[in-house]
Amino acid sequence: MKSFYFKTFQRDSKVYLSRSSSFLGPIVFFLITITLYPLAFGSDEEKLAELSAGIIWISILLANLLSHQFIFNEDYKDGSLDLVLASGKSLFLWASIKIFVNWCFSSLPLIFLSLLTSFMLYLPFDAALILALTLFLGTPILSMFGALAGALTLERGNIVGSSIVIPMCLPALILGILAIQSYKNEEVLFYIFLLAAFLFFSIPILIASCLGAIRLHFE
Amino acid sequence: MRQFFNQLISFPYFFKIAQISFPYLFLLSISVILLGVLWGVFFSPVDVTQGEVYRIIYLHVPAASVAQSIYYTMVIASVTYLIWRIKMASVFMISMAPLGAIFTFLALFTGAVWGQPTWGTWWVWDARLTSTLILLILYLAIISLFSSFDRRASIDQAVSIVVLIGGINLPIIKLSVEWWNTLHQSASITLSGSSIDNEMLIPLLISILGFYLYVTAIGMRRMQVEILKREISHNWVKRIFQEKK
Repeated sequence: MKSFYFKTFQRDSKVYLSRSSSFLGPIVFFLITITLYPLAFGSDEEKLAELSAGIIWISILLANLLSHQFIFNEDYKDGSLDLVLASGKSLFLWASIKIFVNWCFSSLPLIFLSLLTSFMLYLPFDAALILALTLFLGTPILSMFGALAGALTLERGNIVGSSIVIPMCLPALILGILAIQSYKNEEVLFYIFLLAAFLFFSIPILIASCLGAIRLHFE
Repeated sequence: MRQFFNQLISFPYFFKIAQISFPYLFLLSISVILLGVLWGVFFSPVDVTQGEVYRIIYLHVPAASVAQSIYYTMVIASVTYLIWRIKMASVFMISMAPLGAIFTFLALFTGAVWGQPTWGTWWVWDARLTSTLILLILYLAIISLFSSFDRRASIDQAVSIVVLIGGINLPIIKLSVEWWNTLHQSASITLSGSSIDNEMLIPLLISILGFYLYVTAIGMRRMQVEILKREISHNWVKRIFQEKK
């Protein structure tokens, strides 16, 4: 007998796999944005190397915005959210799993891609590894804020969601960039630990507020 | 005390109090602001390093102070709403957010005007300026939530969640922006003392007090309007307007 949570995980993964737009959308968007920067700033190697960490972080931040709507929207529309709320299961765990699956399909591919694109943007290899690590710690924060925005605007997905998400995610972006910039020094650990602290600090708060935001549609 | 508080969060009672006290509070705030600003502009001494231009401090510092304070009071209101479901708290948040946005903009604008002669540029990407800009964006995002739902209770709940998350996040944003860059002169007035000369400090404090009074007065007025919007079909509102006739 598989548990409810495992089934949620399985079902969500199947849904994301069967709908190519949900995981290919962010990838295409990410690649396009990455291509835009050299076209706009010129292909000068030094300049791009200096900008590359920021370019990749910003592109991933923006690409992440595309996938918020998928987290709770469908369940809300087909009524299964109602049943989950009424079932008495741990909503916290349920929402965490949904956000985790969303992260696996929208952010994880982008982290691997960012390693590849960092070569295209002339980022040194050591810095690229730090970049991947900061993205690994930072993108779950983006996903959770995205889930919150998606949960707030279930009825109508609009620009309101993204305008809330981006300012809130700034610490993740800043700490990530600072870590990459200081990849040669000892300080890099300091920023990475801070980023990790920000991640673990935000998990309970953001998921709890996600649930609050979902409930307000059923009052 | 408890009874007074309970009365204050009932809409008709608050409406009555605000109706009576608004004109006095408004006139008082305008006169205190005028006193502070005029004293500051005409009677306080000239700054040694910055010259006459420093006098914009009598608008800049109060505006920035009010802009931040409004956000923190909104955070308190959001907690109050989420725990006790006091409707007055959401009325407060929704009335104050536009005021906060206006004062944040005023702080940024006067800061730019001040920065041009002293730093030689309208804008720098410095920690305080950036976090104030983010505060402005946050206010605007909250205001844009006002029309994103059909039901009143949903709006209240959504606004208070976002205000609360923003309130938790704001210190983190500030700290991370500070690590990123800093150029602005550090805070001149702290609880332990002040690095400003008394002759400049007193008009500044008067001006700050005036701004707070002004925000209180206008905030009360805005809350009255918001209450009327919500309670338009209730009997006590109808009674008030019949008495007027």
